[in-house]
Amino acid sequence: MTDKSQMTHRRRRLAVSRWRYPLISLVSIIGMIGVWALITGAELVSSRVLPSPGDVLAQADHMVRNGYAGNPLIVHIGWSLFRAVSGFLLGIALAIPVGLLMSYSKTFGAITQPIFGFFRPIPPIAFIPLMIVWFGIGETSKVLLIFAASFNYTVLNSAAGMRSVPEQLVRAGVNLGLTRWQLFTSVMFPAALPSILTGVKTSAAVSWAVLVAAELLAAQAGLGFIITDAGTFFRISDVFIGILIIGVIGLSIEFLITAFERRLLHWQSKV
Amino acid sequence: MGTIVLDAVTKIYPAADGRSAEVVAVSDVGMTIADGEIICLVGPSGCGKSTVLNMIAGFESPSSGRITVSGKDIFGAGPDRMVVFQSPALFGWMTVWENITFGPRKRGVPKAQYEDDAHRFIKAVGLEDFSAHYPYQLSGGMRQRVQIARALTNQPEILLMDEPFGALDFQTRLLMQELLLKVWSEFKPTILFITHDVDEAIFLGDRVYVMSRRPGRLKEQFEVPFAKPRSIEMLTDTRFVTLKDKILHSIREELAR
Ligand SMILES: Nc1ncnc2c1ncn2[C@@H]1O[C@H](COP(=O)(O)OP(=O)(O)O)[C@@H](O)[C@H]1O
Ligand SMILES: [Mg+2]
Repeated sequence: MTDKSQMTHRRRRLAVSRWRYPLISLVSIIGMIGVWALITGAELVSSRVLPSPGDVLAQADHMVRNGYAGNPLIVHIGWSLFRAVSGFLLGIALAIPVGLLMSYSKTFGAITQPIFGFFRPIPPIAFIPLMIVWFGIGETSKVLLIFAASFNYTVLNSAAGMRSVPEQLVRAGVNLGLTRWQLFTSVMFPAALPSILTGVKTSAAVSWAVLVAAELLAAQAGLGFIITDAGTFFRISDVFIGILIIGVIGLSIEFLITAFERRLLHWQSKV
Repeated sequence: MGTIVLDAVTKIYPAADGRSAEVVAVSDVGMTIADGEIICLVGPSGCGKSTVLNMIAGFESPSSGRITVSGKDIFGAGPDRMVVFQSPALFGWMTVWENITFGPRKRGVPKAQYEDDAHRFIKAVGLEDFSAHYPYQLSGGMRQRVQIARALTNQPEILLMDEPFGALDFQTRLLMQELLLKVWSEFKPTILFITHDVDEAIFLGDRVYVMSRRPGRLKEQFEVPFAKPRSIEMLTDTRFVTLKDKILHSIREELAR
């Protein structure tokens, strides 16, 4: 074989291997829908319990055109995104500086660590009844709940990230004549960023999950509302559509944050 | 300018917990490093060499005794005493160039004042083609060379080097030693150089200090009878071999004790 043909050969092999696993994943998704279609097509279960993919698609088309419960679909999605994103952003915006402060001041850390540590393992939805009693069923209680959940998952990661910055790196910064503030912003923060972003990712996932739970209980609009409302009236196709939209948006959020993380942490060695 | 004086310096590390005892790392160390002198410090591992260096750097303070630099007590670390760490303490999110110029940039030094030096030293350590690379893209030896270029770009009066070439391969190590001597002949910084390699200690040092086992004291010092500039021919000179023999014996006694 000549060098050139060897090269193209290798390149083709590389191209094949690059697409191999995404292809397998695609086949898996198609397969899942296929099984669904088979089960409903063979009428193994009643279409009132499990609608066919076709039914769901048709109903989705209907919902896109006519909205749901008097509101266009985009309004429902908008409300959900607004609640989740605002709660999430407020949560991490407070959690990052508080976490950094926890590692900076040992006293502050000792005060806050047990409090945040106590709330961490409690499922955030456990606080829904309290939130409703305290803040009513309006936007405040939902956004606050998401805010608290988001905060709690990032704050401890930020603190841990700062604490695990290698002493030698800090010394190198001090040695180069950095002020305290410069040391904080230009050395400790970037060094802690991988750990902080791990927390942020969890916060995002939890925010979305908590949102849907909050909307299941009390809302006049939103994706969680669609699911409960449709369930109450036994409109199973609508329930399916709600679930699908929630899933797709959840995946997109995760994808966005992962892409953001890759960009920010490109310098981290993969080996 | 860069005279370092240690007077009866002792360092005791407190016990880590209730069960372990406190550690007397160095005990009653007195030494004077004259301005522009190169001092090499050798001794068994764990004898307190890094502790001495960290106290001069200002990372640790002595439990008792006094350290002055240019006649003044030291308060914390600063760019007048650049440390080259044993393992390369680079900022992983910065390119090689950003790492090297980080200190002057943060201190607000005008670009014109450090740019030429940075270029020069990045070239001197053989990394001019890698200035846009990130540390994870470099080998361990290359990272260490970045650290050395970074220290030199700050043009310190004092260089504190803690086994800086320990991880380098033989050839790179020789190049770095020669580079260090060249830099010295230009700027005449005061250098404290820790090494476990006796050849290196003699090749670089005006004097070589041997430390005793822990708690580390200064056990013996040896004058190196070679004028600078030095070349590798001296490594085979009989005076070199005799001195090496003496120093090795001195260290050996500590290991056997
Ligand atoms: N931060 C520290 N806390 C407690 N003990 C330390 C600390 N740093 C060094 N030591 C102890 O002090 C002694 C001397 O250490 P070091 O100066 O690093 O020795 P060397 O550099 O000669 O190998 C060792 O026994 C080490 O365990
Ligand atoms: Mg050491």
